[in-house]
Amino acid sequence: MSLEDEYRAVRHSAALSRMDHVGLLRLVGDDAIEAVDKVCSGDLWVRDGRMLQTLILDDQGQPIADVYVCPDNDACFLMVEGITTEELSSCLARHVQPDLDVELKDLRPEYELISVHGPYAWEVMSRWLTPDIIGLPYLSFYHFDRGVCFRAGKTGEYGYDLMLRNEDAGDARRELLELITALDGAELSLETVDLCALENGFFSVRHGSVRGLTPIELQLQWRLSTRKRFPGVAAIEERRARGIRRRLTHFVAADGVKNGDVVRGLGAPVGEVMTAAFSPAAGGLVGTALLDISVAHPGIDEFYVSDRDLTFPIRTVSSPLLVNRSLLVDPRHHTYSTREVAMDPPLWQGSLP
Amino acid sequence: MSHAAQITGWGVASALGVGRDHFRTALLRGEIGIAPIHRFDTSAFTTHLGAMVAGYESDDRDPSALCHEFGSLALRDALAHARLDPESLRSLRVALSLGASLFGDDNTERLARNLANELSIEGPAITVSTACTSSTQAIGFGADLIREGFADVVLAGGIDTLTPALFAGFHALGVLSEGPCTPFSVQMGTTLGEGAGFLVLERRGLRDTVTRALLRGYGLSGDAYHATSPEPRGRGVAAAIQSALDDADVTASEIGYLNAHGTGTSANDTAEWCAIQSVFGSELGCALPLSSSKGHLGHAQSAAGVLEVITTLECMAAGLAPTTAGFDGPRRGGPPRPVSTKKPEPLAYELALSSNSAFGGNNCALVFGTREPACADAEESQPVFVSTAAPLCAGVSSVEELASIFESKAPRSNRGITVDLAAELPRVDVRGIDRASELLTTVTSRALADAGLSLRGTARERTGLIVGNLRASPDSLERFHSSIVQRGLAKPDATSFAQLLPSAAQSACAKALNIRGPQSTITIGDGSGLMACAIAAWTLARRRDSDRIIAAALDVPAKRLAGSEPGDAACAFVLGTAPTSVEIVGIGVAGPDQLDEAIARAQHRWGSTEPAEFVIAPRNGVYAGLAERVNPFAGMRSTSSSFALAYALGLLSRGRARSALVATRGNTASVAIIVASTEVIHES
Amino acid sequence: MKADLSEYVTSRVAILDHVRRILRDTMKLKIEPEAIDPDAPLFGTGLGMDSVDAVELVVQLDTVFGLQLAGSPEDFVKIRTVNTIVDAIMELSDES
Repeated sequence: MSLEDEYRAVRHSAALSRMDHVGLLRLVGDDAIEAVDKVCSGDLWVRDGRMLQTLILDDQGQPIADVYVCPDNDACFLMVEGITTEELSSCLARHVQPDLDVELKDLRPEYELISVHGPYAWEVMSRWLTPDIIGLPYLSFYHFDRGVCFRAGKTGEYGYDLMLRNEDAGDARRELLELITALDGAELSLETVDLCALENGFFSVRHGSVRGLTPIELQLQWRLSTRKRFPGVAAIEERRARGIRRRLTHFVAADGVKNGDVVRGLGAPVGEVMTAAFSPAAGGLVGTALLDISVAHPGIDEFYVSDRDLTFPIRTVSSPLLVNRSLLVDPRHHTYSTREVAMDPPLWQGSLP
Repeated sequence: MSHAAQITGWGVASALGVGRDHFRTALLRGEIGIAPIHRFDTSAFTTHLGAMVAGYESDDRDPSALCHEFGSLALRDALAHARLDPESLRSLRVALSLGASLFGDDNTERLARNLANELSIEGPAITVSTACTSSTQAIGFGADLIREGFADVVLAGGIDTLTPALFAGFHALGVLSEGPCTPFSVQMGTTLGEGAGFLVLERRGLRDTVTRALLRGYGLSGDAYHATSPEPRGRGVAAAIQSALDDADVTASEIGYLNAHGTGTSANDTAEWCAIQSVFGSELGCALPLSSSKGHLGHAQSAAGVLEVITTLECMAAGLAPTTAGFDGPRRGGPPRPVSTKKPEPLAYELALSSNSAFGGNNCALVFGTREPACADAEESQPVFVSTAAPLCAGVSSVEELASIFESKAPRSNRGITVDLAAELPRVDVRGIDRASELLTTVTSRALADAGLSLRGTARERTGLIVGNLRASPDSLERFHSSIVQRGLAKPDATSFAQLLPSAAQSACAKALNIRGPQSTITIGDGSGLMACAIAAWTLARRRDSDRIIAAALDVPAKRLAGSEPGDAACAFVLGTAPTSVEIVGIGVAGPDQLDEAIARAQHRWGSTEPAEFVIAPRNGVYAGLAERVNPFAGMRSTSSSFALAYALGLLSRGRARSALVATRGNTASVAIIVASTEVIHES
Repeated sequence: MKADLSEYVTSRVAILDHVRRILRDTMKLKIEPEAIDPDAPLFGTGLGMDSVDAVELVVQLDTVFGLQLAGSPEDFVKIRTVNTIVDAIMELSDES
């Protein structure tokens, strides 16, 4: 399947992806939440059955893990990207008192994570799981007979992450693909999932280097507690006091832009490209760049990258880039088969420089 | 539930008619009481419908006056149905249990007081203010009053009126439907209504009368989820329904008909259907005849529960199931086949269940019908203990500080209280919490912490919260009113609208601390805190739905100085069934002019031949038992009697007394509570 | 910086700061305006505002900036982040 086909599936109907790169853990014990609270950067203001996206930072304030914290009565699920279970374990050992009642269980040996994303992902789930799924709010989860269903996702479409026991995963995947294919959907590669995340402004801990960068530059301050002493907080405070020099900004370009390219404007360097990828919706490249704080704003056409004597202009934009189809679909009334495509506005309403 | 309470009559003032005969005629014809609103101008809004009481569509008198009139009509109608001569009420032990949540009113209990005076109801009058569950809960508490022996006849129900502010608030939240609401059907949204309804609950064997139905049981719960949205999977609703079934000692399969809350909003109907399926099972749930009456009556808010029960009772008596108006096909996530005939459809059933849910997550369900219970045994009463008391007001943040004010002649501090809830509860999101919620959450969290309790797992469902509170938080009221003044009725401040209920603090506290068990907000005017203790005590003693209940009092008076107000006060007690060193050995509730009777009832419950060693009871505004000292906390209407109890508990724990009686004369009821050290009980 | 770019950035920053102050003052977000990332999602995840907050935000944007938003998905897109709000406000003043 080409990227275009996969992309069409996830942006217009439904698609399935295996999320083997995500760590799955369960913490149990009276102090499970407290232990997580000690290592995560954000306030864990999250109720049972809900999910909260937060970070783990190193002592320099750099993000090393992107985490969903999911309290489940007195236990807690963690979905982790960026560090291994062993690394998380050492992190907990470092920051959490040894006498706390908490036990960490790696679920990966027994469980798989399969995701269904797309504007009609809910329709697939309502057939595979239960019609009541349309009532599950974003960032909530619940247990069903074969596993746990998390409504999350980083594509900007309806997304359901299914944590299934290994012995059930094969059948589940087959059943889901059948339902997805009936909606003109497809299976997705991780590359397409990551492209969707980039287009919708989701931070990826697996892309681009965060060396020397804190959540302040990365526009992730919303994941920082304002009252807690978390690992890396001193570096954050220091950076805040000093003031940041650069900030992550989204851009589009016709072509020619690669990771690491220097961004120039008005005769001088103004920043550096962090990530860039081809977007079928834009018909060009979308990406993120670290720009000088004085110009780190959307709507600027003056910048470019150069390669020998070729210049490739970029245009800074607001994120998310797209008017996701999922915003226009109402699970209470619509179905894939009765959708009126002619009524849909274009996914991307901008233009390339 | 002990089966002492029978339903001998009912009365209504509603959009389908005033008086039972008009109501029944319209109901059986399948009429709809929703029409364009004439009472106030709705041109600034995108919808214009309401279900006003028949004949009062253009009556724009003050809401309190309308409520009183609706209530009076419904009460008299109910008494007539029960063949009780209003003149004879004085000679019976009659009480009033009223659901009413007058938005922004300073004296929610005033309505109950005026109605009680008008009808010469001399027994206790309790007002339940939990928005859309008010009348449903009031019916449950009404039956409790009979079981406890505090009344022989209880007029239980609710009253509400549709005001411009209420309409504006719901409109701003985007939950009003464009056409008349069609619960469970494709159109989303609700239509507001109003009205009054009362059941006559009576002790069996009191007099020669017709038992029209039995109130078999009730259940309460809290979602502890969000100020305006229900918990999406209906967890709280399911808990209330299951609790009602357990209280009634019936299984789900014995229910022949279910009257749902069914407002028609997207959030409510799907959550409720999830709950029904989880209690009844998917198959039984789909087969169960169910409907929502709100398409006919509108959403009558504080009167919704009782009007829906009466709708069911009328239909049950006629061998019919109430129908759902305007149903033209099920919505996704809703019941596939509610009763949706044009008129009520023939159905023979003996047991019905009615459920309601409210903003802030209060849920209440009732089980009633003509089927007698299999066995007539009352639930055994179990002992109730007090663990801790957490008082809070200017100059007081512990029982010791309270004692020094009671015992010395030093005046109280007149600076306000400052609390830092974010610091006390670092792992709870308390942003945007208003003053009333902040104070209540502070004392509740302290009382739980002092008792060494942290609510985990099933303890959350088994912990309740009963609050004596007279009004909404003045900062929320102020914010709402100034938004209307500055921006007009079409653009009110939606966040503060949700806080306008007297129960908003209770809901916010329950959410912050994850308290999901039986909960309510009540008022009797002065002394509401002590009344909350009495309700918590009888609930723990006789019901099996909780292991502990926080009984709290809250005062956030309207008149404010800059910043906090010296009159702000709160107090919380942890009551439970696990033994501690102090037991509640007697409770007594009686009419506002029957303080001695309340004390005598408490004394009688205790069964001791000796009076309590230490007494705090008001005599002409003075506290007897404190060297005739004037109540140092006068003006703290709900809390001062709770402070007296906290002080008494302090004396017991210091060994200065082995038993204490605390009594209060509230505006609509008198309450007496006797506590004793448990060593004393073991001796005798 | 070129004159018109400088002017653009200046007016953008002014509106950005104003919107952040509104979020801090009238919504329950008790954080410093500078700590509100311009591209952070306001609803769902991110700053965690809910549907009741959305009602108030829409009223504020109308009152302060004259930005009129209905409940449609097209309009919801305009309030997804502070930057999208600023975009909508700048577009409004470009039109007038």
